[in-house]
Amino acid sequence: MRHGRLLSVLLWAVVVPSLVQARQLALVADTGNATANVASTELVKIFNAHTRTWPDGRPITIVLRDPSSADMQLVLRKLFNMSPDQARSFIQAHKGAIVVADSDDAVIHFVSTTRGAVGVIDLYSLTKDVNVLKIDGKLPVEQGYLLRGN
Amino acid sequence: MARTHLISKTAIRIATLVLAAFTLLIAAGVVSAQESKVAPDAPTATLPLTSKSPEAQRLVIEAMRVDLDLVEQEQCDVMLRQAIKLDPDFAMAHELLAQNSLDPAEQVVENGKAWALRGHASPSERLLIEWWQDATDHKLISAITKMNDVLSQYPRDKWVVFMATNWLIAQTQFERAIAVYERSGITDSPGLLNNLGYTYAYMREFDKAFPLMDKYVAALPKDANPEDSYAEILRMAGSFTKSLDHYRAALAIDPQFYSSQFGIADTYSLMGDQVRARQEYEIAFQKFPLPELHLVQWQTREAETYIREGDLKGADHAFQSIADYAHSKHMSQVEADTYRQMAMYQPDPKQALEFISKAEAALKEGKNSMQAAIHQEQAQILRAHIEIALKTSNHQAVHTLLVRLSEMSATSNDHLIDSAYQGAAGAVAFSQHKYDEAISHLEEDKNNPLSLKLLAAAYQKIGYSAGAKRTSDTLANLNDASLEQAMVVPTFRKCYEDPSCSSNGVKPVSLKK
Repeated sequence: MRHGRLLSVLLWAVVVPSLVQARQLALVADTGNATANVASTELVKIFNAHTRTWPDGRPITIVLRDPSSADMQLVLRKLFNMSPDQARSFIQAHKGAIVVADSDDAVIHFVSTTRGAVGVIDLYSLTKDVNVLKIDGKLPVEQGYLLRGN
Repeated sequence: MARTHLISKTAIRIATLVLAAFTLLIAAGVVSAQESKVAPDAPTATLPLTSKSPEAQRLVIEAMRVDLDLVEQEQCDVMLRQAIKLDPDFAMAHELLAQNSLDPAEQVVENGKAWALRGHASPSERLLIEWWQDATDHKLISAITKMNDVLSQYPRDKWVVFMATNWLIAQTQFERAIAVYERSGITDSPGLLNNLGYTYAYMREFDKAFPLMDKYVAALPKDANPEDSYAEILRMAGSFTKSLDHYRAALAIDPQFYSSQFGIADTYSLMGDQVRARQEYEIAFQKFPLPELHLVQWQTREAETYIREGDLKGADHAFQSIADYAHSKHMSQVEADTYRQMAMYQPDPKQALEFISKAEAALKEGKNSMQAAIHQEQAQILRAHIEIALKTSNHQAVHTLLVRLSEMSATSNDHLIDSAYQGAAGAVAFSQHKYDEAISHLEEDKNNPLSLKLLAAAYQKIGYSAGAKRTSDTLANLNDASLEQAMVVPTFRKCYEDPSCSSNGVKPVSLKK
């Protein structure tokens, strides 16, 4: 018997083995960033290095996980429209503006200590050291959030 | 006896070295943050337990051990109540009892007390209480942030790791739960081995689950729960005979370990022997006095035996008894949930709607129910209502109810409510032959066999055979005791094994054991 909290309405619900777990990602920025919401069209421009500064003039640094990681598949599809190999070349060509981190903790550490940095992490990695940015007015937990799905 | 938070010079040295490594990695183009990973010799900071009574503290520590390692919830609750008697201001004792109690009324009261008394606790304990309150209040982002904050302070505290992994499993964040466990470096906690074994089992990685169960049994050879857990995981994997052996081994160790007697009954039911299952349930009910929620849980399992053999009158009688019992005990959410389940399996939509009305009326009373549980139940009832409206092609009702459920989901940040919405929206889209749309919703409700069945069919409709096969395999091999399993899996399995059957558009493929 596994211990489980019994507050839930689904006392008798099963936890069905997952097939492919739906991804819930979060766009995060440093706590000093005044931007709270980004339009998805603008976000695509940011991630494709067409927009290089925030509205207050601070340079944007993007920090991502390895393009072949599971979480990044969604980012590549929704924001880059590239394959992992294309994304790697793109990142290589934009050194300095785009940084690759080896874990969500590293993304958070980089974003929290770099003014103007923006990163993508798994929602459940979130800490108080960074701010979650809305996309099109939606938080990661809301229906229709851009960086959610398989 | 206060548990202490230790900061050593070694830790500072490690942090300094890691910072240097971090700088080097940035220079190399890959950012790392290894300081957050726990070194094997990292300090073992433990969550403080603030109480004016050393005996109350001792009792809570022992209660947590009994709960974590032995899964003796009732025994744990007795000790927590004793601790609270000694120190009524002991916030963490109230919080733990709120989480662990098998009495809904006590859960509500203790939750309120923990929140009201959090000012008596240390900042870390307050943070933990607020994390759970945020989770209860559907403030998911805040709950995640606080959980990670507690974890960053106490990454090797087994109680913190236990609470975090438990919550993550409830959120179906299995990979994350495993990461928290692995990062903790804890290898000597039998209870965490148990949790980790279940986590792999939920991911259907039984090759990893079984060795963990072997270790759990070896760690506590004189306790019943390791054998009981092993039995349940074997059952999940479809090894029914071995499962029964382990349940009997658990009862041989402790004849009072009632979970195993009910486990035997559950297993016979999943094997298809409903008569034997009910005999085993009756033996258990006669032999063991049960706390309220466990009584209802296994009465519901017994009621499901009638669904598995297609005896809906028998099911009605059994479920109605549970609803009446819940009503007499003022357990409104349990009563509502029982009526909702009755609505779900009714072949006559008119009858089903009557049960939906009863479920709504019971929930409106709201007695002895946490607010979060009421909201979650509302969502479940709406979902069941939508399924019924779909059966009768009442498009107006489908639309209205789906909008209501969508609004609930959009404003709640609750995983269960969102799953209810996604399942309902997927079913609606499927009925409209919008298969791509259906898939995007149903993939968000993979904990429900009703959604899995539609998902397999939707994959098949769009020509994604690999997805259809994978989903069908999962569904056909699903051996968890639940109403949804009883409603869907036995029929699906029969069809799945029959090459001439193509129900719901799912192309039959061989059953993978």
